[in-house]
Amino acid sequence: MSAPPTPRPGAPWAGAVACASLRLYPAAWRARYQDEVRALLEDSGADLRTIASLAGQAIRARIWPSRHLYDPPARMRASLATVAVAWTVLAGLAAVFASFTQTQPALQQNLTGPRHLVIQWSFWVFDGAVGASLLAVAAGGLPLWLLMLRRARRQHRPREIAWLLAPAVVPAVYLGAASVTLSLARHGTAPIQPPFAHATPSFIDLGNDNVGPWWLMVAGFAAGLMAAAGPGLALHRLRPGGPGVTRAARAAGLAVAAMGLAGAASIVAAAGLHAWGAAPYRQGWPFAACLLLFLAAIAVAGASAARGIRAARPPAAA
Amino acid sequence: MTDRLDRWADPPLLVLASLAGEPKHGYAIIQDVAQTMGVRLSAGTLYAVISRLESRGLIEPLESEDRRRPYRITAAGAQALSEQSQRMQQVAGLARTRLKTQFGGAGA
Repeated sequence: MSAPPTPRPGAPWAGAVACASLRLYPAAWRARYQDEVRALLEDSGADLRTIASLAGQAIRARIWPSRHLYDPPARMRASLATVAVAWTVLAGLAAVFASFTQTQPALQQNLTGPRHLVIQWSFWVFDGAVGASLLAVAAGGLPLWLLMLRRARRQHRPREIAWLLAPAVVPAVYLGAASVTLSLARHGTAPIQPPFAHATPSFIDLGNDNVGPWWLMVAGFAAGLMAAAGPGLALHRLRPGGPGVTRAARAAGLAVAAMGLAGAASIVAAAGLHAWGAAPYRQGWPFAACLLLFLAAIAVAGASAARGIRAARPPAAA
Repeated sequence: MTDRLDRWADPPLLVLASLAGEPKHGYAIIQDVAQTMGVRLSAGTLYAVISRLESRGLIEPLESEDRRRPYRITAAGAQALSEQSQRMQQVAGLARTRLKTQFGGAGA
């Protein structure tokens, strides 16, 4: 058996960065190997190659975790927490799309007739896919949410109960605050203008009373993220397992796939509106910004949902 | 070109070969592989390999000395190492024979 070696000095900053890069590894990996690797870094010193190697292998360990460190329920819980946040962003984008297009009848006149079946079909596909996604979230998420709520109440854990109630409380507070603010603003000298109601080329106009859709939209996204983060934190703390988590992981996959279809339909519709729609739809940058956000959110949601579905598979027979 | 062939060295095989002698902890494996096989394993690569070999039952951890946990090769690991080294020996023998045929004594 080899004796403990004499410590070798290395660049202190490199050692510190190398130790910090261990945080990139999955929790199960860190619990098993972190102390050993720290000891190794103390013995061998660290350089840029060490840091790059640790960081690169951390990504690999996350994508392809070792079998003996693989904890399917933990993977499904982590996947569900990530998907909840990413799906909320996608749902927010869907709401933005609907409010800027389908709920603007003045701008839709002569737009969805026989000449523009592409747009009409895209709207139908969008509506159907969003509906299917909501159903999947309800079918998979509600039973798990109720399971966790019952457990949190039984164990007298008020913080977890508060997190679990976030999806109901935060949107209610947001909607209440938004409606009160808007009703107060409507009593001002100038009415609130809905998006695209201006014929001006730019709609970064927060209304004539400095109240408009943009801050409401940003606040809405913030509220949505807070609401989605609550159950994710509760999942982390309560650690539920069993068929409820498996069902939720599979439903999350369906919900993300449906939201991806809705996103694709909205892209087609937006392209159609750009080609055949009213002047405000011909601005490129709002579409580009939403497209970038959609692509980022669907990539995160898709990757995480795939990992959750993989973890939900029954173990292969020996 | 010859130096670049070092990149073809298979880290799991190097670690198994290192542990075939005696149980070693991480830094001892790196030192042994560097001194006897001329390959410098980085910490990230080493622990990725250790994790994979451990999950496949080819090595096993021993009681930790301080934080430096030694590993030893298992019977399955010894069997895998033996089979792989036989294959490598066959490849090496074939290469030597063909080099001798093609280039005479110079290549062998």
